Amino acid sequence: MPVRPGNERAPAAAASRSKLERVVRQIGHLLPAQGPINVFIHHNTLHAFEHLPFDEAVLEASRLFGCQPYLSEDRYRQELRHGRIHEADVNAVLAAELGPRADATVLANLSRLELRRRIAIFGIPQRHGPALRWTLEETNVLKRLRADLPAEAQNALGLGNPHNGGRAEQARYIRRLWDSCRRAIERAANVSPAVQPAPIRHRDLLLAAFELDIDQWVHPPLIRATSAFLDQGLADWAMPGRERGLYRCFVDLYRSRLARWCGPIGKELQRSLCAEHDEQQDSWTSLARSLECLGLAADEWEPFLRAEALALRGFAGMIHQFELRPDRVPARAVPAQLVDFFAVRLLILRAALSYAAPAAGYQGSLAELRPWLRNHLPQPPAPSADDRAWPLFHLAQLGGLNVAHVDNLNAEEIARVEAELGEFDQTARRRLLHRAYERRLRQRYFDALAQHRPQPVSKPAFQVVFCIDEREESIRRHLEEVDPSVETFGIAGFFGVAMYYRGVTDAHARPLCPVAIRPRHFVAEINTASASGLRARLLRLSEQVGALVDKNVHLGSRRARRGAAIFAVLGALWVIPLVLRVVFPWLHRALRRSYDSLQLRRVRLAIEHQEAQRPPLGEQVGFTTEEMTEIVFSQLAATGIRQRFAPLVLILGHGSTSLNNPHESAHDCGACGGGRGGPNARAFAQMANLPQVRAALDARGLHIPSEVWFVGGERNTASNDIALYDTELAPNHVHALLRQAINSLESARRREAHERCRRFDNAAPSLTPAASLRHVQTRSADLAQPRPEFGHATNALCLIGRRSRTRGLFLDRRAFLVSYDANGDPDGAQLDQLLGAVVPVVAGISLEYYFGYVDPTNYGSGTKLPHNVTALVGVMDGAQSDLRTGLPWQMLEIHEPVRLSIVVEAKTALIRRLLEQRAELKRLVDHGWVFLATLDPASGEIVELDATGEHRYVPEHALAVCPGSSRAHYEGRRGHLPFVALGAATARSNAPAD
Amino acid sequence: MHQLIEVTATITVVAPLLLLLVTGLTAPTKLLGEKGVGVITRVALLAALAASLTALFAYLLSDRRLVLLKLGSWFTASEARFSFDLALDALSLGFAALSLLICNIVAAFSFRYLHREPGFFRYFFQMAMFVVGICSVALAGSVELLFVGWELIGLSSALLVGFFQERPAPADNALRVFSIYRLSDAAMLSAAVLLHHWTGSGNLTSLFTTTEQPHLTLAAGQTLAIGSLLIIAVAGKSALWPFSGWLPRAMEGPTPSSAVYYGALSIHAGCFLLLRVQPLLAASGIATALMIFGGVATSVYGALSGRVQTDVKSAISYATLTQVGIIVVEIAFGLQLLPMLHIAGHACFRLLQFLSAPNVLHDLHELENRLGEELHPSSKQRTGQGRPAVYLFALERGFADSLLDRALVAPFRRLISILDAFDRLLVFERPSRRERRS
Repeated sequence: MPVRPGNERAPAAAASRSKLERVVRQIGHLLPAQGPINVFIHHNTLHAFEHLPFDEAVLEASRLFGCQPYLSEDRYRQELRHGRIHEADVNAVLAAELGPRADATVLANLSRLELRRRIAIFGIPQRHGPALRWTLEETNVLKRLRADLPAEAQNALGLGNPHNGGRAEQARYIRRLWDSCRRAIERAANVSPAVQPAPIRHRDLLLAAFELDIDQWVHPPLIRATSAFLDQGLADWAMPGRERGLYRCFVDLYRSRLARWCGPIGKELQRSLCAEHDEQQDSWTSLARSLECLGLAADEWEPFLRAEALALRGFAGMIHQFELRPDRVPARAVPAQLVDFFAVRLLILRAALSYAAPAAGYQGSLAELRPWLRNHLPQPPAPSADDRAWPLFHLAQLGGLNVAHVDNLNAEEIARVEAELGEFDQTARRRLLHRAYERRLRQRYFDALAQHRPQPVSKPAFQVVFCIDEREESIRRHLEEVDPSVETFGIAGFFGVAMYYRGVTDAHARPLCPVAIRPRHFVAEINTASASGLRARLLRLSEQVGALVDKNVHLGSRRARRGAAIFAVLGALWVIPLVLRVVFPWLHRALRRSYDSLQLRRVRLAIEHQEAQRPPLGEQVGFTTEEMTEIVFSQLAATGIRQRFAPLVLILGHGSTSLNNPHESAHDCGACGGGRGGPNARAFAQMANLPQVRAALDARGLHIPSEVWFVGGERNTASNDIALYDTELAPNHVHALLRQAINSLESARRREAHERCRRFDNAAPSLTPAASLRHVQTRSADLAQPRPEFGHATNALCLIGRRSRTRGLFLDRRAFLVSYDANGDPDGAQLDQLLGAVVPVVAGISLEYYFGYVDPTNYGSGTKLPHNVTALVGVMDGAQSDLRTGLPWQMLEIHEPVRLSIVVEAKTALIRRLLEQRAELKRLVDHGWVFLATLDPASGEIVELDATGEHRYVPEHALAVCPGSSRAHYEGRRGHLPFVALGAATARSNAPAD
Repeated sequence: MHQLIEVTATITVVAPLLLLLVTGLTAPTKLLGEKGVGVITRVALLAALAASLTALFAYLLSDRRLVLLKLGSWFTASEARFSFDLALDALSLGFAALSLLICNIVAAFSFRYLHREPGFFRYFFQMAMFVVGICSVALAGSVELLFVGWELIGLSSALLVGFFQERPAPADNALRVFSIYRLSDAAMLSAAVLLHHWTGSGNLTSLFTTTEQPHLTLAAGQTLAIGSLLIIAVAGKSALWPFSGWLPRAMEGPTPSSAVYYGALSIHAGCFLLLRVQPLLAASGIATALMIFGGVATSVYGALSGRVQTDVKSAISYATLTQVGIIVVEIAFGLQLLPMLHIAGHACFRLLQFLSAPNVLHDLHELENRLGEELHPSSKQRTGQGRPAVYLFALERGFADSLLDRALVAPFRRLISILDAFDRLLVFERPSRRERRS
């Protein structure tokens, strides 16, 4: 009986299949974790590297992704010149890094610390090969001393002041110095060229050896097919057979004879797909076969597939996200699988190689192509004498070594110097400078916190709870300045209410809670107004007609006949909205708002549990009393509000509106999963007002006096519009207070807009607060405005503690402020919850901004201007590119890339204990992804915690005091501002002596 | 009245020209700052718009006879004259006014949109180049001025496609656009040369006016030759099939430049030219048939491809093509007012649609909220009419690029390499590229 050939290989196939599965899963972790763009979630771009210390992780990632780990050296030196970094910071960081090795003498009479300090501060220009030749021949480097030379080096060189010395003399001297450096190198031992490992992808080998980029053929069909597969409703026609997965869909589509026309590789592709179809494979076997065809051994699968995936990481990541979180897909689920993407990619790759290999002069099988290509790689040249003399030449100038010194160096000494330079290479210098850059900001923050005198409010007239977002820092400050009787709090802006929510005008329900939570509850907004009467009917009719017209114009504009009819007859009318929206956006906004205000709506949230109803999403409709009690308790218990409830408590969520901004959701509330937090705030207020909830809270020891009333609302962080909900339900005794609150919020939002306008270059510094408000309102309604607001840019700090610690302190919209009062939390249980919920979120925001800023083109998504919305899930650059998943430059522009400094107002011992319980948090802190410090609730002493232990902080500079309001401090200034105490605040006694 | 028309028409051309000079001279040093560029651009464009509107109304109130305004002469050699003339009538002044209105709107948009962009000054210089080009094409009364305008539109368009110089894709696509434009320009140049050769001057007015029928001075064959060359020139510039492949590739530039070129003006410049020379084309049955064929093919192709594009800018650009095809057919049928209205309406609408293309998520969300349901309920969404081949054809954009590559580029390259081999054989053995580098 004949043996079927497949049978004996079955176990081997199963083993290789499971290995392949493991490989694909591993690669999935490295891909961008950004899901569809309509819900933008901030997270650590390098989440997959959190098991490594920060500095190792950024290097590893820069190797893998081809991205920058830090800012450029030049940028840091610019910050040094501008005083953003002090030399003292460089010295302090350097001393800490070197430890006992600092004092060893490396060159002449210079210690290692001194040598590195000079290199770090003054720098050695990076030049070699032709660029160095050009510099030597065409610039003044061999005619003059460096202009920025430190004075001690000038004196040591014996030239006195080089600016006064004779030009010719100086030129002769510098020429001799260069020659002696050249001679020194000639005395030294030879070095071999740095050996670069050969790239693993065929494409990189072909590019290096023959300047042939096969990605130009692989990517276009892959991008088109993938985005058609993922499309959420941008195209009229959906891809046929999507339900069978990308692989089958692609094979069926592109095996048609027409596909032979698909670019130069079309013929090869179509032929191989026909074979693929005949064999009826699935994507795993297809992938395994492709790997075999390409001559990849099992141990190469992981690095090879990883490199292939990273070449189009945006789309690969989006497929992966669709696979992982089908519940976050906006409109229609498609069976996306990463393995399908790989199988398709390798099929196209094989076709491209079959086409390209003969062009490069290769005739054999694809499996042998890579060894052949490796033999054709150009050899990197060894560094020339000039290349090696160049750093030495600069070192001589910086270190004050004269010609005689250099001539006396022997081979061993030169080897030592070169080793030192190798160790303190560009990356090490950038790391050092970056640490100094972060240190300065941290010191300023700690100085401010340690010295600011707490300003408690004994008997607040009313209280406002904001989100912890750093964009709320300014409005809280202004509100407190406008009305000193107000007390403010910060709670994560979903206010503990995790729900699917559908507004009365919404077509879809959406989750409003942090991404990590999948809500169980569904809450709808319902219209309780009677909808009869002529006016109501007319309005409804006008809305329906408007929607119908919009729909027909939207769809019709893409059709031939309907479009022709529309344009030829009505087209010229479009000049009206065109001029209105583009030239007079403020007018358009005003008209729009006055139309909207005609609406007669009386809406309520259906917040209470309805047993009988089935929710469209989630598990139950509304919340039970126990659930509501738990929510209110968990949110208020640790904030310190329980000791002194005011009769009126406002709960303000936040969101942001902007036009022409695919990243609109990135400005919304992170705690609401990139949604707007108004409904959450409103639901929370409604819950806290329910008598049965109050009674249950009493039983749990949280007493809310009966006269206290909660009102929910939402602030728009772009336009500064503030809406309060259900105010007509407020009892009579709070009416006066409510009016006071509304008035205070009104002036606070104007002042806040005024402060925010100082960061917008095209807002004149002379704007009044009222004009500033109009300015930011127009920004959020302007099609032409790529910067409706700056989002989280400039975030750098976080305080988990009482507001009294920061009240009256100008923190420049840079601090996440989380309310926590250690007095109400003796065992730290509330703090534990708070740390677990808050730290990953704020760390994610800060790190996403960090990476976006240090490498805007690779980690970020570059400038917004050419962005092109694709498949309604992401943006491409221009006509066709990979999906750009990071933050756009216009959101980052004014940021300072630093890791977040988190200060917790609690006992150090408590924090240590809590960290031990939360491994994920401890990893973030120990690996330096965030800085953590404690602020003693009683003594106000700051202790820094890191992997090496605890360090008591000693204030460096006195906290400046700015008499007057915030405006006096910021007015007329555009850049980042120092932290100051406002008003008549006096510094505490533990200020430093200076 | 005529004097008023002449003065205002001159301002219409000269104001953008001054703007071009000033922005061009100051762009490298950023001398004027963003504010300064904003002010002079506003002033120049508003002045030109006001002038063109005045000229248009003055013309409509006058006796409505075509005005030929001689701006100057390049040179004259024996009986051949090379001159820059403006031909002013309702069509040319109307198109100029429409163009300037749109340029004003786009400039207002761009000041805010490109604020703080490194290429801000370059952008406004290239926009000024475009305004000069479009005004010249609109008002041209001689083939010389027409050609200059045509070239300026093409050059600025290619430069703006390649606006983002730090990535390779814009440069590649700009080159592609530019090469199609060269083809179109070559056709235009040939038409100009033939016109000069056969009539002795580049005066276009003889082609514009139907009343005097002076085109009869051309033989039927000559009419066909000039007409076909002009149609090829238009097909390249307006992305008619089979030259349509470059249009979605041109979406590399900043959104407002895509809007003004491929939504509003540049794409219609070809249609306008056809409208201008309609009397000439109408005289040749073959040219008319060619136009109808090109228009219908473009329209069908655009409608088909537009249905499956999954990125918003490609989808809009194919929707634009669909209408451009229809406009060409309307012109072929000898209509005048309808295509003009169609152009104006379409340009305004597409401009807004392109400018708000990044808003598509917001707009669709709002629209669905107002409709209370999904725009394309997944149950009803059509799936490529069930035929994968149709879908593939549309998804791969009708293989328009491959078609050109295989039908035109490959034979041309073969020809060149044959010539090259011949050259080497005859003249001398040149070192190959690799040898030279080492």
